[in-house]
Amino acid sequence: MNAPIVEVVNVSREVAWLPWAVQYFFLIGLSAGAFLLSLPGILLRRPAWTGISRRALLAALLCGLTAPVALLADLHQPGRFLNFYLHPNFGSWMAWGAFFIPLYLTGLLLYAWLALRPTLQGLANEGGRMAKVYRFFAYGGHDSRAALAGAAAIAGLGAVLVLLYTGMEVMVVRARPLWNTPFLPVQFAVTALAGAIGLVLILERVLGVSTPESSARLNGALVNTQAAVLAVGAAWLGLSLSGLSPAHAEALALVAPSTAWRLTAVWAAGSALLTLWLALKRPHGGLLAGLIALHSAWMMRWTVFIAGQEIPKTGAGFYSYQLPLGHDGLVGIVGTAGLWLFLFVLLTTVLPWSGRDERAGA
Amino acid sequence: MDIKKRQLILAGGGLAVFSAGFAQTAGRMADKVLGKDMPKHKTWGDAPEPEFSVDPETGALKPNPAQQVSYTMCTGCTTFCSVRVRVDRASGKVLRVAGNPYSPLSADPHLPMKASVRESFIGLSRFNDKGLAGRSTACGRGNAVLQQMDSPFRVLTPLKRVGPRNSGKWAPISFEQLIKEIAEGGNLFGEGHVDGLRALRDLAASIDPAQPELGPKVNQVAMLISTNEGRSEFAKRFMQQAYGSLNFVGHGSYCGGSYRSGSGAVFGDLKKMPHGKPDYENAEFVIFIGTAPAQAGNPFKRQGTLLAKARTDGKLNYVVVDPVLTNSDSRAAGERSRWVPIRPGTDGALVMGMIRWLIENERIDAKYLACPNDAVAKAAGEPSFSNATHLVVVEPGHPRQGRMLRGSDLGLKLAEEERYKEADPYVVLDAEGKPVFHDKAAGPAQLYVDTVLDVEGQPLRVKSSLQLLKEEAFRHKLEQYAADCGVPVHTIAGLAREFSSHGKRASAVAHGGMMSGSGFYNAYGVVMLNVLIGNVNWKGGFVDKGGGFKDVAKGPRYNLETFPGMVKPSGVPLGRNAPYEKSTEFTRKKAEGKPYPAQDPWFPNAPALASEWLTGALNGYPYGLKALILWSANPLYGIPGLRGQIEKDLADPKKLPLIVSIDPLINESNAYADYIVPDSLLYESWGWASPWHGVPTKTSTARWPVVEPKAVKTPDGQPIGMETFLIALAKAMGLPGFGPGALPDAEGNAHPLERPEDWYLRGGANIAWLGKEPVPDATDEDMLLSGVARLRPLLERTLKPEEVRKVAFLLSRGGRYQPAKEVYDEDKPEWMRNRFKVPLLHVWNEQVGGSRNSLSGKRFSGCPTWTPPAFADGTPMRKIYPETEWPLQLVSFKSALMNSYAIGATRLLGIHPENPVIMHPADAGPLGIKTGDAVELQTPGGRARGLAIVHEGVMPGVVAVEHGYGHRELGARPHRIGEAMQPAMPRLAAGISLNDLGLADPTRSGKSVWVDAISGAAVRNGLPAKVRRA
Amino acid sequence: MKDTPNLRRRAFLQALPAITAGTAVLPAKAAEDDAAHRWAMLVDVRRCIGCQACTVSCIMENAVPENSFRTIVSTYAVKTGDTTGTYVLPRLCNHCDDPPCVPVCPVGATFKREDGVVLVNGERCVGCAYCVQACPYDARFINHDTGKADKCTFCAHRVEAGLLPACVETCVGGARIFGDLNDPDGELRRRLDAARDEVKVLKPEAGTRPNVFYIGLDPRFQGRVDGVAALWKPSEHGG
Ligand SMILES: Nc1nc2c(c(=O)[nH]1)N[C@H]1C(S)=C(S)[C@@H](COP(=O)(O)OP(=O)(O)OC[C@H]3O[C@@H](n4cnc5c(=O)[nH]c(N)nc54)[C@H](O)[C@@H]3O)O[C@H]1N2
Ligand SMILES: Nc1nc2c(c(=O)[nH]1)N[C@H]1C(S)=C(S)[C@@H](COP(=O)(O)OP(=O)(O)OC[C@H]3O[C@@H](n4cnc5c(=O)[nH]c(N)nc54)[C@H](O)[C@@H]3O)O[C@H]1N2
Ligand code: SF4
Ligand code: SF4
Ligand code: SF4
Ligand code: SF4
Ligand code: SF4
Ligand SMILES: [Mo]
Repeated sequence: MNAPIVEVVNVSREVAWLPWAVQYFFLIGLSAGAFLLSLPGILLRRPAWTGISRRALLAALLCGLTAPVALLADLHQPGRFLNFYLHPNFGSWMAWGAFFIPLYLTGLLLYAWLALRPTLQGLANEGGRMAKVYRFFAYGGHDSRAALAGAAAIAGLGAVLVLLYTGMEVMVVRARPLWNTPFLPVQFAVTALAGAIGLVLILERVLGVSTPESSARLNGALVNTQAAVLAVGAAWLGLSLSGLSPAHAEALALVAPSTAWRLTAVWAAGSALLTLWLALKRPHGGLLAGLIALHSAWMMRWTVFIAGQEIPKTGAGFYSYQLPLGHDGLVGIVGTAGLWLFLFVLLTTVLPWSGRDERAGA
Repeated sequence: MDIKKRQLILAGGGLAVFSAGFAQTAGRMADKVLGKDMPKHKTWGDAPEPEFSVDPETGALKPNPAQQVSYTMCTGCTTFCSVRVRVDRASGKVLRVAGNPYSPLSADPHLPMKASVRESFIGLSRFNDKGLAGRSTACGRGNAVLQQMDSPFRVLTPLKRVGPRNSGKWAPISFEQLIKEIAEGGNLFGEGHVDGLRALRDLAASIDPAQPELGPKVNQVAMLISTNEGRSEFAKRFMQQAYGSLNFVGHGSYCGGSYRSGSGAVFGDLKKMPHGKPDYENAEFVIFIGTAPAQAGNPFKRQGTLLAKARTDGKLNYVVVDPVLTNSDSRAAGERSRWVPIRPGTDGALVMGMIRWLIENERIDAKYLACPNDAVAKAAGEPSFSNATHLVVVEPGHPRQGRMLRGSDLGLKLAEEERYKEADPYVVLDAEGKPVFHDKAAGPAQLYVDTVLDVEGQPLRVKSSLQLLKEEAFRHKLEQYAADCGVPVHTIAGLAREFSSHGKRASAVAHGGMMSGSGFYNAYGVVMLNVLIGNVNWKGGFVDKGGGFKDVAKGPRYNLETFPGMVKPSGVPLGRNAPYEKSTEFTRKKAEGKPYPAQDPWFPNAPALASEWLTGALNGYPYGLKALILWSANPLYGIPGLRGQIEKDLADPKKLPLIVSIDPLINESNAYADYIVPDSLLYESWGWASPWHGVPTKTSTARWPVVEPKAVKTPDGQPIGMETFLIALAKAMGLPGFGPGALPDAEGNAHPLERPEDWYLRGGANIAWLGKEPVPDATDEDMLLSGVARLRPLLERTLKPEEVRKVAFLLSRGGRYQPAKEVYDEDKPEWMRNRFKVPLLHVWNEQVGGSRNSLSGKRFSGCPTWTPPAFADGTPMRKIYPETEWPLQLVSFKSALMNSYAIGATRLLGIHPENPVIMHPADAGPLGIKTGDAVELQTPGGRARGLAIVHEGVMPGVVAVEHGYGHRELGARPHRIGEAMQPAMPRLAAGISLNDLGLADPTRSGKSVWVDAISGAAVRNGLPAKVRRA
Repeated sequence: MKDTPNLRRRAFLQALPAITAGTAVLPAKAAEDDAAHRWAMLVDVRRCIGCQACTVSCIMENAVPENSFRTIVSTYAVKTGDTTGTYVLPRLCNHCDDPPCVPVCPVGATFKREDGVVLVNGERCVGCAYCVQACPYDARFINHDTGKADKCTFCAHRVEAGLLPACVETCVGGARIFGDLNDPDGELRRRLDAARDEVKVLKPEAGTRPNVFYIGLDPRFQGRVDGVAALWKPSEHGG
């Protein structure tokens, strides 16, 4: 090891976008992806999708409600989030994000409510202790397709903008060549969709409502997304290796020497391949493929965010990041999962999500 | 469990982990609601208000009444710079430290003292860019050490050990109890009777009546200190003049002792050991051999400033010869700066090779060297002369073999007590080859002489000093020298050629790198290079320090030097820095027919030797100690190998019954003390210090309490510290020289010595009145702006009215400084103004050349010579620890950031958290060691684990560590004081210390550490070592 | 011989390639704007001795939390040909003329003042760290004591008081020169103009147009350094 330059004294910069950020990008992506999955069954009323879309709506809600909390926690001055609205700087994608998130969430909630109104009405009609509450929320229980379409349009616009801004926000950071690639928003979007499919696959199993048809359908979709993920990844690598795109070549040159990065990248690619293989080989399976799809969506973000921040902008070598156990690390990750779990129990307790239900807005 | 319950648990669990994760965020949001998240200032956050402001247009100064800016001294390392300390008045907290513009240790050039304090502040500002040229600095460490003031590890109250020594448990005791127990002794620890200092002060009875030369029993009480940081004369007055012990020593022998001894040999004073420094400002070429300007060195900061300037804007090219690459080098400076790696301890080979080349190629300054005396030299325009032409007796078996031939040897009539002293001239051969007394020679003398003189009918073989040096240098070929030191032949020759290409504007200098097993001769050789080009006292050459204004003297205002009842200590010093041949042991052994070896080595050519003290005392040779006082010294951390040798015995009160330490911190050494007396820290204390070297103008730095000392107070309300403790002890024992009437003034009136300020303010008065005329008075504004106003009542109470404002003048400017423009001589601008007192340089030193190794009985060479690193009896180190077994050599070097006691300043650790083991790829590769790997370092003296860093900034075959890490104390281990436990801060133990791996000398009996056989200086460079992955 | 010392030196010490000349990075005119001042720093790397006085004084002056640095002097062992030497490089915020940290700030907390200084409005910053990501020089960090983005302020509080930045005041080697680009007679401008051809900035290709200029900037250190990283670890006491 005859390195011509050895750093004798220098300090590293800590990771400033914490695991909270990974959680946020992961969850908001899943939510948007899941929302898209909910459209065929709920908005377009395709019978084959009814159940799937139902579970997708659940996924969109769970992730959509958890994500902003993670985002808030990633701010080091969360108490000042109002400044996003008091002093927006529209030159910044992040500032736009502050408007896109509520837009999307408002749309999503409205859309979910409109979709669930008949269900709520039905629950109210069943009587019992909660009937009053259900009735209140059902607010008449009308099933208005026009309103639903309107809400879906808002949420859809929101979802696209969210996917756009999350990708762009990271992509525009020229200081981080690994981020500064036009592929990034696409990668974020496809992996979000893949993750959402995975999540729905899992929800189906957990709720005990999966059928061979739905599994096959979801696995089919998964095959497509994973193929896209791999294609985009390959294109990125191709551009970098061939040197066709100097920016990409630079990004690769930066990260390639890092064993940690190579490991995670291979891991992420491997997971995508494995998912693809599983989805192809076992179209009626779901849990494993779903888990791996989720995992690779998460890994992709972890690699981009955390590994990206381990690359010094001026210094030599790499900053080494060790996941702290506390708030800024593991506890943060587990904490978002906790909130998600809480919401899951809540929503599944108060509402039925098994797809064959006639009142499911179908 | 029914479904509902499970859901409940799941939901609850989810919520619980969520709240845990989100708690901090919630807290932060609450802060916002509570309005607690506002920075002190919108854009500059928590920075305190500036200390003053200066209008950039008019230069008008506006002080900030909430802060005080004072000029005092930094004790962040032995450079003792004058600094400016910014204090928040309300809290007494020191906010930041920078430099004092009046001081040459911190500014270049320094501000004339006549500038008012106001002007000095304005001079630091942006106004007309004054602050750039007038910049006055504190180094990284100097900026950080203020943290120590609030250290949780400070000793603030007198402590007495509870339980065995070094157990880390202490009881706080009162000052009265402290004084009583130390003075009177008793069964102090429930371990039996311990003699107090009163009982131990026996000025009459011999330590050993059979060896009367050892001196009185009082010598068995000893005091070991660090260095003169401005207060040591006070401690010395107590220890030597009042208490009466001979044994008072500083850290010199484990600092750079070998360099100074080698230099002392050239300058002909092996006790005071004068030495020189390059005149950076005008030097054109300097070879730094084992000293690292800009990385360490003394004065660290000033050298750094001057070096940086000279290599950028000046004419300086320089080469750093060092086994390790340091910040002395600068690639940005390109060709101006070069690092030449060398094997440890082999500088003698390099230097003798250069000397050979210089002589062979006639590149020595023969015209200069031929001057036999001062007059001839002066006439030739030389500000010094050498004994190159003086003759040395080389007749084998002659009683004066190795000594200079003197006038009296040739029949000059002199009183017996004057023989071989100053009045007895040396002898040279004049141009005609006739012997003449050197002082009578009217012109150049012969340089190379090897002849036989007829002395009173007897043939006497004599050689000139230069002839002897030439013969030593010609013992080996350049190729051999190169092979020994690892510096290629063409580099040795190139260095010699370059060195001799700049007239007087080149020099060679060394320091810590000489602390090897061949240190004395290596250093002697390095300094000899300067003699050979005759650069001493020349502008751009090798120059003296300006020195200081003496406070402790029979001064113009007060006599701080002598007092009635003063003791003149006598005997053999504990470090055996005396001729063995005058000992009873020698007489006895000679009578027995085998005068050599002595039981353990003696060091007739060395100054007092702390390096030999503690092993000697515990060996009982020459005698044991009854009490040891440590004042701000840390020999166990500083002396290689000492800990391993003595830690068991030191813990045993029977071996050394009383150990008292005066120190603001608990360090590796005083952890063994029976009592610790708190001392002032940094800016809390008094003192008058002059730079160790490297400042050509006269400089005295003032240290005065710019903040209230933190230590608890004596019953009469003075903070406990070294002075208050010794005054109280002296008074308790009725010693002379302290108390009422102890300080006479110039008129003979007696003044008290009851408080520290009695001493330091009067010392200040002496300084103020030195020179042609006393310094001016401080104005009210000077005092106000500099914070001296706080001390005004003290000044008025202590000093005579006419002295108050003059001493205040010094305090307000942080000292007294000869003007910067007085560097060079007024009449001869090519000469330095402050020159070496004795202009005679020794190519041959007869004191060394006339003495013998007390173990082997072999004669020492009186001129530089190349001998590989060896143990005390001359056995080469590699003979005992061969390369086959110990393939590497371990060296340490000073950290640019850390020093031996700065570890508690955690901001330094924050930048450089530990000292990795530096290895060359050629050594690390085969061992499979990479940067970041854990390694185990082993020497015959011990093992240590560290982290490796692998690069080519180290000589192959050498492993190197920075000094200043690997602490066991100073916070690395929490102590219990009373009921309170100090906090645990394991990071203060980071890294390793070479000294834990130091060697004993296998050629000696008893406890020993490896020291240089002539200088007695501790060996820390080139320990045999091996490394493996851990 | 005396007039050609370098040639001779090469004879025994291997020659090093000289650090190549810089491309013009100085603002062409002293004053491109009507602002009264245009603050900038010049770092003469040849005069830097890596003492970190600047690093520590900055910490002390600005209450910078542990493990964070507004400035640091990176120190390297560098091998060139057969010789190895020390290279040091003081780093701090460049107060870019086109600062990528500014446009990304979602709340406009980061801004560039008329006088060129890039600052963070601590009353507005939400601590999102977007600017930290966007700075190409790793010059920014989140201050865990305040929860806000932090970086070198050019010691604007001292400059406004007519003083010099802390790191400049205490620069032992005299490497750091601070001043006003708009002051044609000022020390900074004079030095910059005198060394015009040697003056360089970090990452010129980033288009940030820094206002921290260097003399003696080795191209190998101008961007991300290709080498082995320091063994530095944050202390457990940091936030
Ligand atoms: N391996 C290796 N060993 C070395 C060296 C090396 O480079 N390498 N260097 C050597 C050199 S050059 C020297 S000079 C010696 C130094 O060795 P020493 O002079 O014995 O001691 P220091 O370790 O400097 O510690 C002085 C002590 O003073 C105390 N102290 C600290 N600050 C203050 C203060 O403000 N006021 C007072 N009153 N006391 C204070 C602390 O307890 C500290 O331990 O070490 C030598 N040892
Ligand atoms: N930064 C800093 N500055 C300091 C101090 C500090 O602790 N830190 N301490 C002060 C004190 S007390 C002193 S005495 C001075 C000492 O200042 P220096 O003498 O300059 O420093 P050292 O580190 O003792 O030794 C100088 C160099 O000798 C090298 N060396 C080791 N072995 C050999 C050898 O065999 N041959 C040669 N040629 N070189 C060798 C070391 O690698 C080191 O770089 O510094 C003072 N200034
Ligand atoms: S060199 Fe630094 S640590 Fe040493 S006395 Fe000077 S300012 Fe203090
Ligand atoms: S160096 Fe970084 S933080 Fe400073 S102005 Fe430029 S982009 Fe902004
Ligand atoms: S951390 Fe503060 S200054 Fe930086 S981008 Fe976010 S809000 Fe702006
Ligand atoms: S200008 Fe001030 S804030 Fe910036 S690096 Fe220097 S000291 Fe720190
Ligand atoms: S203070 Fe000056 S010389 Fe020291 S490291 Fe900083 S820039 Fe370099
Ligand atoms: Mo020293």
